[in-house]
Amino acid sequence: MEYMPEFRLCAPASVDEAVGLAAADAGARYLSGGTDLVVNVRRGIERPAALIDLSAIGELKDIDEDDGGLRLGAGVVLRDLAENETLRRDFAAVAEAALAVAGPTHREYATLGGNLCLDTRCLFYNQSEWWRGANDYCLKKEGETCHVAPKGSFCFAAFSGDVAPALLVSGAEVELAGPEGRRRIPLAELYNDDGMDHLALKAGELVAAVHLPGAVAGVPSAYAKARVRGSIDFPLAGAAVALAMKGGGVEDLRVGLTAVGPRPFLVEDTERFADAPLDGAALDDLREMVRAQAQPMRTTTVAPWYRRRVAGNLARRLAAGLAAASP
Amino acid sequence: MNRVAAPVSSIGLSQPLVDGPEKVTGRARYAADLASPQALVGRLLRSPVSHAEITALDTSAARRIPGVVAVITGDDCDETFGILPIAQNEYPLARGRVRYRGEPLAAVAAVDAETAQRAIDAIEFAYDELPAYYTAADARADGAVELHAERPGNIDRHAEFELGDVDGGFEAADLVREETYHCAEICQVQSEPHAVLADYDAERDRITVSPSTQVPYYVHLMLAKTLKMEKSRIRVVKPYIGGGFGCRTEALNVDLICALLARAAKGAVRIVASREETFITHRGRPETGLRLKIGLKQDGTITAVECHAVQRGGAYSGYGLVTILYNGSLLYALYDIEAIRYEGFRVLTNTPPCGAMRGHGTVNARFAFENLLDAMAAEMGLDAFAVRRANMLKAPTFTTNDLMINSYGLPQCLDWVEEASGWKERKGRLGPNRGLGMACSHYISGASKPVNWTGEPHATVHLKVDFDGSITLLTGAAEIGQGSSTVLVQCVAEVLGLDMSRIRIIAADSALTPKDNGSYSSRVTYMVGNAAIQAATELKRVLVEAAAAKLDARPEDVECLGEVYRAATQDEGLAFDEVVVAALAETGTLTVKGNYDTIPESHGGKKYRGAAIGGSMAFSYAAQAVEVSVDPDTAQITVEKVWVAHDCGKALNPLAVEGQVQGSVWMGMGQALSEETHYHKGLGITSNMLDYRVPTIVESPPIEVKIIESMDPHGPFGAKEAGEGSLSGFLPALASAVADAIGVRPVELPMTPDRLMRLMEKGGRSG
Repeated sequence: MEYMPEFRLCAPASVDEAVGLAAADAGARYLSGGTDLVVNVRRGIERPAALIDLSAIGELKDIDEDDGGLRLGAGVVLRDLAENETLRRDFAAVAEAALAVAGPTHREYATLGGNLCLDTRCLFYNQSEWWRGANDYCLKKEGETCHVAPKGSFCFAAFSGDVAPALLVSGAEVELAGPEGRRRIPLAELYNDDGMDHLALKAGELVAAVHLPGAVAGVPSAYAKARVRGSIDFPLAGAAVALAMKGGGVEDLRVGLTAVGPRPFLVEDTERFADAPLDGAALDDLREMVRAQAQPMRTTTVAPWYRRRVAGNLARRLAAGLAAASP
Repeated sequence: MNRVAAPVSSIGLSQPLVDGPEKVTGRARYAADLASPQALVGRLLRSPVSHAEITALDTSAARRIPGVVAVITGDDCDETFGILPIAQNEYPLARGRVRYRGEPLAAVAAVDAETAQRAIDAIEFAYDELPAYYTAADARADGAVELHAERPGNIDRHAEFELGDVDGGFEAADLVREETYHCAEICQVQSEPHAVLADYDAERDRITVSPSTQVPYYVHLMLAKTLKMEKSRIRVVKPYIGGGFGCRTEALNVDLICALLARAAKGAVRIVASREETFITHRGRPETGLRLKIGLKQDGTITAVECHAVQRGGAYSGYGLVTILYNGSLLYALYDIEAIRYEGFRVLTNTPPCGAMRGHGTVNARFAFENLLDAMAAEMGLDAFAVRRANMLKAPTFTTNDLMINSYGLPQCLDWVEEASGWKERKGRLGPNRGLGMACSHYISGASKPVNWTGEPHATVHLKVDFDGSITLLTGAAEIGQGSSTVLVQCVAEVLGLDMSRIRIIAADSALTPKDNGSYSSRVTYMVGNAAIQAATELKRVLVEAAAAKLDARPEDVECLGEVYRAATQDEGLAFDEVVVAALAETGTLTVKGNYDTIPESHGGKKYRGAAIGGSMAFSYAAQAVEVSVDPDTAQITVEKVWVAHDCGKALNPLAVEGQVQGSVWMGMGQALSEETHYHKGLGITSNMLDYRVPTIVESPPIEVKIIESMDPHGPFGAKEAGEGSLSGFLPALASAVADAIGVRPVELPMTPDRLMRLMEKGGRSG
């Protein structure tokens, strides 16, 4: 680990105060658990003049009942998400995804908001200052060329948060706080399909909370990720599936993917499984549908070929498990 | 006072490590922790290019930055360094040419890290780029630019031998098979990144250096060479060391640069390498391509072996020629094989230099050998254990390449593993996606000829006894976490019949302790252990004589009961402290010593160039069975269980032996499952612990260890090597288990999910 450069550290007591601090200093960054940002600061990827530490803000740490659903404060640590009984019962994929993040010590610090706002990752980006300089930097930061696809002008750095796809299949919305006040948007709209600029946050905005709708509570769901090691690793591909069955047929099937592109997303066209049983042939179709929409590039040492195929396999396995368990 | 006592025994009993309390309480001081408030911060400028002529390195702006005390470049040291006297082709800081990305070009000592980095950034480096080669094949291609003028064709070493009737052996075989194998480059990833503190005394022109090393003595020699200082003006003090596994078995450039910087700064300088810099410093196991051919008779006997190996060695020689020679010589000494043809190429490439990683030179060859043997046994319908049993050696013996074997517990290892794993009942019957595999392995107990041949004994131990009745064991052997200090204390305590707490050990301070070659090739227990026994035996003789004089008895009538010495006819006797007083009365403070030397018969042969590599006083033997499950959706391998039996001659400390065997298996598991370096145009792209995937505790299987004691006739209390021999067997045992589970056999390492899925979907060579 490289030495820590100097920056100002602010510790606001409220969301309004935090937003005010950010508005006053264009070079400031919000800091929560720090498990992603601090590593990037030490590597010289981020050079914030100030860090606005959100960890003392009580509002961000609450989990509340919300109209039959849940309001999850963005500062809730992943360990608490993984262990929350209501979440495990009503939104199982979210709890499973929280438990799948990194290792136990990371989950003590890492927060929900941090996992949603995780920077995109790439082998050519998550490197030291010396390394990136020796490689003429990259399109995402300070350079001209994407080393993953040198002829293009698109950044393929992969979004690698585990929780987002689970929230996507649960119909989550995010509550944002910024200089212009608060707004609520579907989670999918938080993300752009651009590895360089994957968050649709306005200047000075932060994610304050996540809302899980009561209508989806209790719909069976699950999350699984492919990785080389059973701990620590970011997903090579991650899939969340929510499946509501009715009368032996599919009522609602949603599949969310992560780590196979610059943003997490819901697999399109799953409506076509509606009203039919989810038999072997349908599951095979689902697998191929996922593989067709997952477009990972060589942003990790593991072959993109594998990540695409395993994304399909994971989605199929999860859907099959949920279908088998449904009454 | 009742003086009737009994000698305390410590050998063969599980003992906690003597330096454990310091480590678990955080009181142990590693090189980065050593108190030196005045020490400047040293930082390095590393080459951004793979291969280039240096046309200019302008440090003038860096020198003008306030707080910068010293800046050095290759101009400040024109001496090469390297572990082998015949292959020293590396400068601490590059001169003339850089040969890999990350090679040190310049170094700065400054008041703090920020200032040092500003100075590094202010150095201007101009260069003319040369063609760079990242694979052995490219470096060997016609017309390739030579990295080193004295190494034509970029061949660092071409090793070859042919012993026995190889062609006849293949003709006599019932089945001959040939297969190619590829093993990725791996790195040690020890807990502690490299760190070194150097303190130069300008008044006296002396220097004290504390490097994170396994070989303080070799660092001492290279400091003298590169600083051009008399050895007597240098003191090397080994701090606590956070592991090594071979990456610190030679002086590293950071050790030498830190000393050069300290002298230039006329003070103390500390360099703490980042994890990335530790990866770049490298000295890991080379990427290896192997082509192996085995001839087998229907009764399981091996008739002939042919092995061709190419190692991508990196930009400098390091241990290279030793690695490529071990790769061939240790095809022998595990089984009774006569005819072997071997050809190996160690190739220079524009990547960080490889080194002597745990299981040095044997691991990738053993992966190939056991893997092919297993596949052939399956093809012939032979049981894997039966094939091994058909090729057992009979100790004492010499192998065809003249390696001396006096103890051989492999048959007992096989018996236990077969039984414990339920092999006969369970092999091939574990259901879909679950499998059982096995393999054998071995390793030397210290190289019989040291890399730096001086004619001195291999090991020397001093024991100092003073007025306070304390015994201080002085050794140059480097405790690096493997437990060497504990085992030496045990040896001395056992001979004297004293509790281990009586003995204090000081390890590796060149001003205090006798020279030792260091901790590598599993030499310490065998060689330094024997020296410790000899020293303790000598001390006992002196004490018995003193007791005899005091008791007015003949020495042969004095009985040593540890805390009490008495003449056979008496009940009372003398307490240990009283014996010490009697002994010191004649001579003052006592220092006795013990030496150890290998015997010429163990030095390997002369049948081919380099045949001494492999020569050892004893070989450890191991067998293991591995049970796996394979996830058909993710192609993920889960190691469910490992049964491993290791013949270490005699377990001096069963707890430590068990830990070493588990550690070996575990390290083999890392190489087999997930560890590999990747380079992007020579730039290490996995130089961190997220992308270089060392297994976590989640991957750690239950490892059941059985210690087999074959009692080596020359070993200390019968002991042999315990810390390396179980490593290489894991990799082929895993391949064998995977083949049993899913019907395809991995021939590439590591067996990552993407490689395995490709094998599963596209079909592979069936096992």
